[in-house]
Amino acid sequence: MTIDRLRGLGSHLLLAGTALLCAFPIYWLFATSLRRPSDVMSLSPIPWPLSVDNYTDAARKVDVAQLIANTFAVALLSASAQLLIALLASYAFAMYTFPLQRVLYLGFVGIWLVPFQVTMLPNYVLLNRLGLIDTLVGVALPTLCSALAVLLMRQHMAAFPKELVAAAKIDGRSSWSILWTVVVPNLRPALAALAILLFINSWNEYFWPAVVMRRSNGVLQLGLRSFMGTEGDDWGPMMALAGLACLPVLVLYLLLQRHIVNAFVRSGLK
Amino acid sequence: MFVVESSLAPATRPDRDDLAVDRVPDDGTGTVDQVQGAVLAPGPGRWASLPRWVGRTAVPYLYLAPAIALLVIFTYRPLVQAFELSTYSWNLLPSSPMKPVGTGNYERLLDLPAFRDSLWRTVVLIVGLIPFTVLLPAALALAGRRVSPRARTVYQAFIFTPFLVAPVAAAAVWRWLLHPGGGAVDQVLRSDRNWVYDTDTAQGVIIVITGWQLLGFAVLVVWAGLAGISPDYDEAARVDGASPGQIRRWITLPLLAPTLMFLILTTVLLTPTLTFPLIDSMTQGGPSQSTTNIYYLLWDYAFHSFDAGLSAAAGVLLFLGFGAVAGLLVWISERLSFHDD
Repeated sequence: MTIDRLRGLGSHLLLAGTALLCAFPIYWLFATSLRRPSDVMSLSPIPWPLSVDNYTDAARKVDVAQLIANTFAVALLSASAQLLIALLASYAFAMYTFPLQRVLYLGFVGIWLVPFQVTMLPNYVLLNRLGLIDTLVGVALPTLCSALAVLLMRQHMAAFPKELVAAAKIDGRSSWSILWTVVVPNLRPALAALAILLFINSWNEYFWPAVVMRRSNGVLQLGLRSFMGTEGDDWGPMMALAGLACLPVLVLYLLLQRHIVNAFVRSGLK
Repeated sequence: MFVVESSLAPATRPDRDDLAVDRVPDDGTGTVDQVQGAVLAPGPGRWASLPRWVGRTAVPYLYLAPAIALLVIFTYRPLVQAFELSTYSWNLLPSSPMKPVGTGNYERLLDLPAFRDSLWRTVVLIVGLIPFTVLLPAALALAGRRVSPRARTVYQAFIFTPFLVAPVAAAAVWRWLLHPGGGAVDQVLRSDRNWVYDTDTAQGVIIVITGWQLLGFAVLVVWAGLAGISPDYDEAARVDGASPGQIRRWITLPLLAPTLMFLILTTVLLTPTLTFPLIDSMTQGGPSQSTTNIYYLLWDYAFHSFDAGLSAAAGVLLFLGFGAVAGLLVWISERLSFHDD
């Protein structure tokens, strides 16, 4: 009994210690951003008195509102297109059998074996030819087909009760109308979870913006990078901008924690 | 993004698959078309309705068309082109001509010490990440079994959060924490070490930050893997008189091995995505190349040296190496996996 309790205590210590270490940098980011500019170097664990000077300072140096709007637009466009395209593709994979099915499916799985650093040059050349360099569309376009979304959606579709679909078919409905009136309404929770996951990924996307936005810093991630370069050690405003770059995702996480965790676990295991 | 649909997954969790089958009774009429075929069995009239038959066959391809088109345009076409580009000498300017050089780029690449060094650094990076993505998560998940579900959820929530932090924001806050003299780490250690710009520690800093971001995800994966192991095995061993330590060593860990292999594979496949933003915004591969891994080297050749051929050649070798390593890991994990069905 005592040994068991000791083991339990040790487990708590290990988990709590790791949890604290993991959360500390995030806490420190927001704590620093909320200190008065003269207190930035302070080590006191609680930022007091609070101040938003760092945020107003950051807003003076970069067009924060524009960066947030751009990032939001790209993430929204990219996530909704990924969801729609994946919905259609997974519908085909889960509800039909057709020649080349296995090959095409492996084509999606195979994406994981191609690091983006390998394909970036030809894609850069293509985007350049299309005149999409330094545009937000150019940032979103290469990401519109998400293999992850296709594979996850297929899992959900495969588990969808086939009787419902068959019944609708007997009623004489087309496959297109079955998709939107039978399948989608029933998969709403799964679609919502996937949408959030895709939005978070797009929001945090760094690579394509870095390739495409060669001359401007149109999205938050790049704005923050150039801020790190030019403003050197101006830690207060930098933490304010970094805080803004994480805030939407962290708020989503706070509100929908269980769903987000489940979505990520599913994505890792299936 | 970051995850693998791998052939390991089914093997990882055999009993999970059984569950899925339980939930969805599969009586062999798995697909819509088969169901429809049974209802509207095509008789001799089939040839009369050839256009309709063609139309129906085309349907799944139409649904797949947008995804396949994007897949070809942005993944497989560039992959083929990278092979082609690797045999040319070109500086990325549309106006300047591409000179065919055969295998010249590959010969040049293999002669470059920078290439070999970057490969070695990539190996160090991946090996350095294993404690964060396999060992520590396994320990944490096992510890998580001994605490109440409520406490576990709270710990998990904190440990997972760094995974959601935007990579550049992670770079920014860690640079601040590690700032020589003024940062929290140096103030606590009473040192003025410049962790990020020291050739001895820069690579370690990248490993720690990447590990910090990946840890929570890995813990979730191990936890799900543990939950998929049937408690019957533990029970049977306990009845036979095995101690908790013996059960962990001889029952739980072997059953968990495929999950852990999957995590190693994930680590390999995720390093290019996760380390790039950190390196690009913190060190640009420095100081004196100490954080230039193969992924960053490709970027460097393409967009700093404007040597498209060399970058493409390195990309081709990377792709082949990647495939070989992934194949090997899948093979090992298939040998490790234990089938109880």
